[in-house]
Formats: sequence, structure tokens, C-alpha cells
Amino acid sequence: MAEPITVTDLTKTYPGSTVPALASVSLSVAPGTFLVLLGPSGSGKTTLLRCLAGIERIDSGLISIGGRTVATDRAHVPPEQRDLSMVFQDYALWPHMTALDNVAFALRRRRVGRAECRAGALSMLGRVGLAEFAGRYPNELSGGQQQRVALARALIADTGLILCDEPLSNLDADLRERMRVEISSLVREVGATTVYITHDQAEAFALADKVGVLEEGRLVQFGSPEDIYFHPATPFVARFTGLAGELLVKVVGHADDGQVEVAASGCSLPRLRAAGGPGSPAVSLEAGDDAVLAIRPTGVHVAGSATEERHLSGRVADSAFRGRGYELAIDLPGHGRLTGVFARHRTVRGEEVALRLEPDGCHLFPERMRVR
Amino acid sequence: MHPGPSWLASRPRFTRLGMPLFWLILCAVILFPCVCFLILAVSPRLFDQGSQWFTLTYLHQALTGATAVALVNSLWVSCAAALLGLLLGFPVAWLAARTTMPGRRFVSGGMWLSLLLPSWLPALGWERLVQQQGVMYRIGLDWPWVTHLIMGPFGVVLLLGLRCVPFSYLAVSAALGGLGQEFEDAARVHGASRAQALRLIVPILAPAIWSALAIGFAESISDFGVAATLAYNSNFPLATYQLYAAIGNFPPSFPLAAGMSWLLVLAVAIPLGLQARALRGRSYQILSGRTRQAVRRRLSRVEAMLAGSGVALFFLVMLGIPGFGAVSGSLLGDYGSSFSLTLVNYQALFQQSGLLGPLERSFVYAVITASVTVTLGFIAARLLSRRRTAATGALDFLLLASVALPGVVFGAGYIFAYNLPIMSRLHIDLYQTVQLLVIAYIASSLPTNARVLVGAVSQLQPSLGDAARAHGAGAVRAWARGVLPVVSRPITLAWLYTFCGVFLELPLSQLLYAPGSPPASIAIEDNLSNYHFGVGMAQSVLAVLIAFAAVAIVLGGYRVLAPAGWRRIGGTVRG
Repeated sequence: MAEPITVTDLTKTYPGSTVPALASVSLSVAPGTFLVLLGPSGSGKTTLLRCLAGIERIDSGLISIGGRTVATDRAHVPPEQRDLSMVFQDYALWPHMTALDNVAFALRRRRVGRAECRAGALSMLGRVGLAEFAGRYPNELSGGQQQRVALARALIADTGLILCDEPLSNLDADLRERMRVEISSLVREVGATTVYITHDQAEAFALADKVGVLEEGRLVQFGSPEDIYFHPATPFVARFTGLAGELLVKVVGHADDGQVEVAASGCSLPRLRAAGGPGSPAVSLEAGDDAVLAIRPTGVHVAGSATEERHLSGRVADSAFRGRGYELAIDLPGHGRLTGVFARHRTVRGEEVALRLEPDGCHLFPERMRVR
Repeated sequence: MHPGPSWLASRPRFTRLGMPLFWLILCAVILFPCVCFLILAVSPRLFDQGSQWFTLTYLHQALTGATAVALVNSLWVSCAAALLGLLLGFPVAWLAARTTMPGRRFVSGGMWLSLLLPSWLPALGWERLVQQQGVMYRIGLDWPWVTHLIMGPFGVVLLLGLRCVPFSYLAVSAALGGLGQEFEDAARVHGASRAQALRLIVPILAPAIWSALAIGFAESISDFGVAATLAYNSNFPLATYQLYAAIGNFPPSFPLAAGMSWLLVLAVAIPLGLQARALRGRSYQILSGRTRQAVRRRLSRVEAMLAGSGVALFFLVMLGIPGFGAVSGSLLGDYGSSFSLTLVNYQALFQQSGLLGPLERSFVYAVITASVTVTLGFIAARLLSRRRTAATGALDFLLLASVALPGVVFGAGYIFAYNLPIMSRLHIDLYQTVQLLVIAYIASSLPTNARVLVGAVSQLQPSLGDAARAHGAGAVRAWARGVLPVVSRPITLAWLYTFCGVFLELPLSQLLYAPGSPPASIAIEDNLSNYHFGVGMAQSVLAVLIAFAAVAIVLGGYRVLAPAGWRRIGGTVRG
């Protein structure tokens, strides 16, 4: 049965370090949710996962799994008693055991007989398409096959919680995409709550029901993939989930509909909404404030016709054919460079182009939030 | 078009002649004596040592009577010693690598220290301690049962087992270093308790465990130091000493000794074969770029105290007791029953003629041997690390097989081969000369040296030397500036290892020393067997001090004199 997870004010500092790996992290996950923790290296996502697993002890706060408190500053339930399973980054398949034995190991906690154990493991290997490889040792399997054995080991015990520690990071791009689909469908099939960590925003958005973004040990945003993408709470979240670029602008005033009028040298910018919305607090911007305009690749494109509104102009620095069109890198005089700008038609390097901004893909933050 | 640089156009003459010359040296000093000696066992007529062109008589003889008893003794004692070495070395390695045991930083140093000591030195220390009229009796501990226990099979197993501990420790430590935390974590999150997780991951260390057992067995069965001292004096014959006796007794029987050599070599090959069979078809690759560093288990106060005192007790038994036996033995008079300490033995060393000479002699032999061996070892390692050809394959096999050859077999081969009439006809009259002893030292140290250096040399990128040469350096300067700094540390360590090994070497010295010029180990043995216990022990203590001083001077000199860049390479990983 899927387990709910509650994490309250969780803090963890590694011995010998003065900087906390996790600082007052709180989140609540409904049963059966696929949660992806997203963040760069050193953001604390692996530490959070290992605290959930019970591999690391917490300094303060509380973790509860399935309504049972498993970790506080005084109590620590060991990993084997938390009734969860895990897919490791390097798969951690025991090299002296066959694929079948590796998978069967996870069934032992259910105290089933040896024959039943083997039959169950074989059946699970069949589900991940590896029944004929059951007798092979890990070194006799390809990277993708090893990954599937690790997944089978995590799925077989039928635990309410599955933890995944960047399980796709060692695979090539093609296999990665196929395995992503397999993981997504298999864990949803068993109905377990899943906590999955990655630093790849595309992988996170493709897999998640909920995404938690971590920065320097803090959970800076928690919400649906759509919330995170369309309403990033901070410039960091916006940047980490994909930006074409950033512009420094000045707030000129507010329109009656609450939109913000901004100005930047050499640009004719449209009215924009201040960042915030579902899943993130609204930010306040006053006239005269310096602000950062974070532009998604979907928030800017090359103005096609003469009648189309033109907000920015720049020179094409690079043009890359992407099948459905072209992705341009454009130097904006005095404002740096935008990348991933979509153009339907071919342009040549050095060509002057006009750009149109889409307010839905633009997020306006006070300048003071820019560096955190 | 300009012609290429001259060093690209033609290989210098020494390079072209180098390989055949190197092979000639190897054949003369390793292949020829050992192969001749081993063939002798089945074809004595070939060497005018009997009437048969082919016979199995001597192999059969080696399997009967006293030699069979010695062989059986050696086999079971070596099994027991290897097991004891693993049973002690594994937990010590685990405690030092995976827990917060107090004093864990000193464990590695202690193990290296005991590796540098030849096996006969602790054996003599123990003997002097427990024998009748020994130190123990003279301080009032009249415990005959201890004497019987140590001067017998138990003592032999204990000493050889303690000798195996550093090998087990090093093998297991290296494996533990690469065993990341994730295997244990994976077991724990999938329901295994701490003890079950430990049981699960110990088999991952199978290569290290097998390796520890194989090395322990091979070291024990080929050991001569304990066989010629404690075991011999306890009337507990071991195969290596029996082989020595077959040559040393009158009349000498070289074919019988050769037959015993076959059995010893086969015995060494058994655990290596078992090891290969056990690990065949498996991969124990556990290291990757993402391997998570294992976490030390924080021991409770009681656990820390127990672990620390257990390891301290182990070092006390391994080094402390024989050390005490040797030092106190050197401070006692040879006879009498009182425990009055005196420096008379040390005074004798410096006043009586002929007592310091063997130490000086061994020192010179060790310096020459270490220098030549490291040079040849580097060349061999260089050849082994290159592209695999039939020649490098043969070299690899020859050196590997030689590592497994007991020193006493090596020595017997030398006596036999360099005493053949053909040698006289070729005017190679090396038998019973210092030169032959030093050549034998070099030949017996070379295989281990080459294997030690091949690890470091394999990591050398050919581009290091090429870059220096492409930028105008000559071959020698390119090597000295581009390559030497990278391998300077392993070369220094290999030199020291060889120096210490040769300085107090016993089996080759026993068989090959030139009359009138005994090296240190022989002089010490002579003094002890002639009841000059005090002087013998004083010589032992002084010899160990000289060896340690040499280690300190060379390592200290490297630290002070080597350029900072040299010392950075291959240094301990920080953090």
C-alpha cells in the first residue's frame, strides 16, 4: 500500500562541515505520488533521500512514513525497518550474486519460502524483460539491463515507498528515455509512493506528479511540474528549469490590471506580471525597483511578420537546425545573450532580427532575489 | 620535406641490443639455474648425477620417509598459518578501515614494519625468550608448558600465521578501500540487519580473501627462516629445511633436493590454482567514479576500548614479545640464571674483531642488490607494461613463476648450476664466491621488484617522455625530467623493500655464502648455534636498527631532497 510521507523542519549537517546539507526542509507527499526532487549537485537532494531511507541520521526535525515517525533528533528507525526499497545511482547490485539472487534478496523480508522467493523474483525479472538473464551475474549484463535488475529488486518487495537515486544518470540518451518510460509505468503500476532525485529538469517534468526544487539545502519550491515551470518562485528555480536568458530592467509603474510596466535601454517591453502564483508566493515590485526579467525559451521568438509586435532586437550569434525549426543564440546589445530562441525559418549568423516576448513565458523578479 | 628528428629516424644501438641482452641476463640468473635444477629430479644422467636419463625415483623418494613427514608438516602448518593470518588480518583491516577504533592510523605502519623483518628474527626472539636458560626463566617465570607450546607445532603455526597477517591485512584493506558504502546501504534498505548486510558483503571481498589465503600459504610453505630456527630447534621438520639438509648433509643429494623442489613448487601452485578456479568467470568490479566513500562506524566507548586493546595485544604478540626477547636476550650474559642486564655483548660487537664485519658486508650487498634490482626491475616493468607480444608474455610468465619459487629452491639451483663442470670449462668460476651470492640476491629479488614496479610504470603515459623529446630533450634527459619524477616514489619504496629483504636474507645466504665472508644472518645464526646467545642477539638488534635507520634516512632524504613536484605525485590522497 502506498505510504504518505511527511518531512518537518528537517536539518542535517555532516560531521566536519559548518554548512548544513539540509536546512529546515518541510514537505508532505500524498500516498501514491511520484515526487521528483530536483536540484544541482550539492543542493541536498541525495542527503534528503538518504535521510528518508534511514542511511543518514537527521540532526533535527521529523520524518514520518505511512503515519509512523521514523526519524527525529532522538529516534532513528534503521533502514531495514522502514519497509521501503531503493534504486541506487550505481545500481549497487551485489557482484557475487546472479540477477535472480539480487532480486530475490529483497523478498526475504517478506519471509517467503525459498521456492516462492525464486518464482517471485523470476516473475519480476520477466516484468522488466529480463527473465532469460536471471542466471547472469551483474558484470554479464549491459548498463540498461543492470538498471532493470535494480528496478526489479526495488519493485518486488511491494513496499509502500520506492526511492530512486538518479537511476538514469549512467545511461546513454536513448536508453535513458526508454528507461524513464519503464520506470514511470512500472512504479505507477505497483502504486507505491516514489521519491526520485535528478538534476535533469526535463526528466523531472516528464516523470513527476510533484516536483521539489532544492537549492543549497533548502526546499525553494514544491508543486506540480506546471506550477514550477509557469510560476517559478525564484530566479534560481526559473534558471534551473530552463531559461533563454535574463534581462535587467527597471520597474516604471503598474497598470490598472495589476500588470507591471518595465523599461530597459533599447527595448520596448510589454506589460508583464510579477512572478508568483500557484505554488509560489507573489513578489512585490514598486516603481523605481530594479528587476530581473527571466525569459523561458517558450517566452521569446523571432517576429515573423511586419505587423507582429517587436520587443527586442539583436544579432544572430549562432543558428542550430533542430528539425521542427531553428534554435538561435542572439546577442542583445547591452543585455547579454539569449539562447534557445525559436525561429521557424533559417537565419544566418550576423543577421539582425527582431524578437517578440510572450508574457506567459516571462517572469519578473525583484533584482534583490537574483543571487541567492 | 624535412627529415624527422634523428631519434625518430633510427633506434640507438643500445636499444636494439637491450632486449636480447636483458633476456640473456634473465636466462643466466633465473631460467638456467632453476630449470637445470628442476630437470635434474627426473633426468640425473643429463648432469652426470646418476645413471638414468628419465626416472621418477627421486620424486618418489621425496614422498617417503623423513622428507614426506616434513612435507606433510609444511602443508598442514601452511594451511593453518594462512587461515590464522586471515582470521587475524581481516578483523584488524576491518577495524582500521571501517570504524573509529583508537590508534587505527598506526596499524598500517605496524604491518609494514613487520613485513620488513625477516621471519627468522621474531623466531629467534621467541626462542630466546622461552627456551630453557632463556629470558623467561631468568626473570623467574619457570613455565615449561610455555616452552613446549612455543617450541613445537603450535609455535611454528603461530609465528608463520603472524607472518601472514600483514599480507591478509594489505589484501583486505585494499579491497575495503574500493568497497563503497552502497552495497551495504542496498542491503539495509532492502531489509537486511547490520549483521546480515555484513554477511552479504563479505563475499564481495572474495578476491581479497582468496588472495590473502594463497599468499599466506605460499609464504608459509616457502619460508626458511622459521623452518631453520624455531622449527628445527623444536625437532619439527619442515620441507624447506629438509631440502637444505639434502644438500648440506654428507653426502649431498642434489636429485633428491630437486625432487623436493618439484613438490614445493607444486604446493605453492595449488592455492594459486584454487584461487583462480574460485574466481573464474566472476567479476568483482566494485569501483566506479561514483563509488560512495564508506562511512566509519562510530564505536561506543566499550567497543572502542575492546577493539583498541585487541589490536594492541595483537601487535604485542607479533612485534613486542619477540622484540622484548631479542633486546633482553642481547642484554643478558650467555650463561647463569640471574636477570642482570649488561652491555657486554654490545661492547664485544665493537671490540672483538669479526663481529661487525658481517653487518657491514650485508649492508654493502644490500645496497648493490637493491640498486641493480631496481634498475632491472624497472626495465622489466617497462617491457611488461607495453603491448602484449610473445616476448613480453614469456617475460610475464617467467617473473610470475619466479615469484612463486621458494628461496631455498632458488639457492639450491644456484649451487647446482654454477657447480656444473661446463661452468668451469666456460671459465665461469662463480661457485662459493661473493659475486654469485649477490647475483642470486638480485635474481631472487627481481621478480617481486618488477611486479611491484609494473603497477606504477603501467600508469605512465608514453606521451610524458615523447613530450620531453619533442621539445628538444635527449633520451636520457627526457627520461630523467619527464618520467623519473612520476615513478620516483615507487622506485624509492622498491629499493627500500629490496634493501631490507637482502640485508637480513637467510636461505640464499645459508646456501651460497662465500667461505670466510658470512653475511649478517649467517653470522647471527652461527653465534646462536655456538651458544653465544648474547652476542648473536646483539647483532640481531643492531642489524634491525641499521635497517630501520636506512629506511628513515632514505625516506627522510626523499622528503627533504626530492623536488616538491616529485613528492606530490603518488602521495597520499588528501581529505
